[in-house]
Amino acid sequence: MKKLTLLGLALAGALCAQDRLTLPFRDPNAPRKLNVDLFLGSVTVKGYEGRDAIIEYSGSDGFRGRRGAPEPPPAGMHRIGGGREPDISEDNNVITVKGGLWNLTGDLTIQVPVETSVTVKTMTGKSVTIDNISGEIEANNMNGEVNVTNASGSVVANSMNGKVVVSLNKVTPGKNMSFTTMNGTVDVTLPADTKATLKMRADNGDIYSDFDVTLGPRTAPEVKEEKTKSGRVRQRVVRAGTQQGTINGGGAEMQFTTFNGRILIHKK
Amino acid sequence: MTCEETKQLFADYWSDGLNGEDEIKLQEHLGACEGCRKEAERLGALWRDLGALPAEQPGPGLRSRFYDSLAAFRSGADDRFSQPSHRSPAKQMVWQIAAGIALLLAGVGAGYGLRPNQSPELSQLREEVANMRQLVALSLLQQQSASERLRGVSYALRAEPNDSEVLGALLDTVKRDSNVNVRLAAVDALHPFASSPATRNGILQALTKQDAPLVQVALIDLLVDLKIKQAEPELRQLLQNAGDAGVRQRAEWALENLQ
Repeated sequence: MKKLTLLGLALAGALCAQDRLTLPFRDPNAPRKLNVDLFLGSVTVKGYEGRDAIIEYSGSDGFRGRRGAPEPPPAGMHRIGGGREPDISEDNNVITVKGGLWNLTGDLTIQVPVETSVTVKTMTGKSVTIDNISGEIEANNMNGEVNVTNASGSVVANSMNGKVVVSLNKVTPGKNMSFTTMNGTVDVTLPADTKATLKMRADNGDIYSDFDVTLGPRTAPEVKEEKTKSGRVRQRVVRAGTQQGTINGGGAEMQFTTFNGRILIHKK
Repeated sequence: MTCEETKQLFADYWSDGLNGEDEIKLQEHLGACEGCRKEAERLGALWRDLGALPAEQPGPGLRSRFYDSLAAFRSGADDRFSQPSHRSPAKQMVWQIAAGIALLLAGVGAGYGLRPNQSPELSQLREEVANMRQLVALSLLQQQSASERLRGVSYALRAEPNDSEVLGALLDTVKRDSNVNVRLAAVDALHPFASSPATRNGILQALTKQDAPLVQVALIDLLVDLKIKQAEPELRQLLQNAGDAGVRQRAEWALENLQ
């Protein structure tokens, strides 16, 4: 295992020359997993008909880019290397791509076989995009948006200051899912026959769906007593924070939460 | 024999796995090459030290939890023979447990309706249901996949309100889980445990450590719902330091409502 890790690192060195690296999953028949953990930079993961992970990166959305426009290459020259390479390793069919504060990478594009479980985390990338993946998907982008398209399996997605857009072609029955953001729209598309129990909460927004949602009993508004700033007690009608509902008779739980934004649940 | 070839034989040499010919070649090389001899001495000492390390002892809870899991799995596997299915055994197990819980609950409910006095069998049954839920919740909360941990939180939500082991696991999840969505779900699942003092302390601790605004807001709402008045210092701190405007507003609202 150690040898493979070293091999991965050695191969990562090869990025200097071409910004593109092909790393095989050791066992093509066992379940595959891709872990991406970045501090800066956008991430795109795409499923393709192949067996290896193809990792490409560019320095464009990096640290310098945040402070001003990235420096263009000098006339007539192209980039042949530099110090901002991510750490890449393979261990037990899990490929890990890491870029911390000290090795700020740029934008990453990673192609993996369609049937791969994918976990992506980035702090300040513009976007996390995951397309055509079948497996367990986890996406977390602190300051940008999350886009998951053509997915099948299950998705757990979170953003802090961006929208979360997820579209599933197929849902693994019985898998819990969750789509949350503090500031942004939660926009989820599910196959028409999905059986799910929905828990929805939009503190400062509305919830829309074209599914036939059977709303749960806790949706009825209740009257609460509140104290005002001056100390008087007043009554207020409060909608229960979390609305529950089921589609197609109910199933595994799906959580939809946004503080500032609205929730859209589309039927595919 | 080159230095590289020699080093590849070290492990076999120390574990007595070399044939005579290789061993002689190795000895010859070590005699002639000082670099390899030094490395063999250094690594050999490390090898022996590693062998002398005591074996890791499992914790006290592990044994019983393993056998409980095994028993639950077996009962699931037995049923599977009479009703073939293409589901994986692990999934089958959880479904079996879920179905079992549903049936037992129905039984317990019917029992309550039919008898004015609770019999010892019924309370035993109730306890078994609770144990089963606890087991499923605790083991799911340990999973690597966020989706499975979310399922663990759903199970925890249905545990007995005095189940301190499930409460402990939930509080741990709120404080330490790497996934924001799982932490958020775990905060919602704390509601049924409101009466425990551990819940109150745990929420306050979690609030100071929390960096995700969405979870901060959920914790603030929980503080207000449970009327935890001693939260004032933590709330004032959030009011001043929180990076997100929504969190600051919510903290202000909570301070007004908790007075």
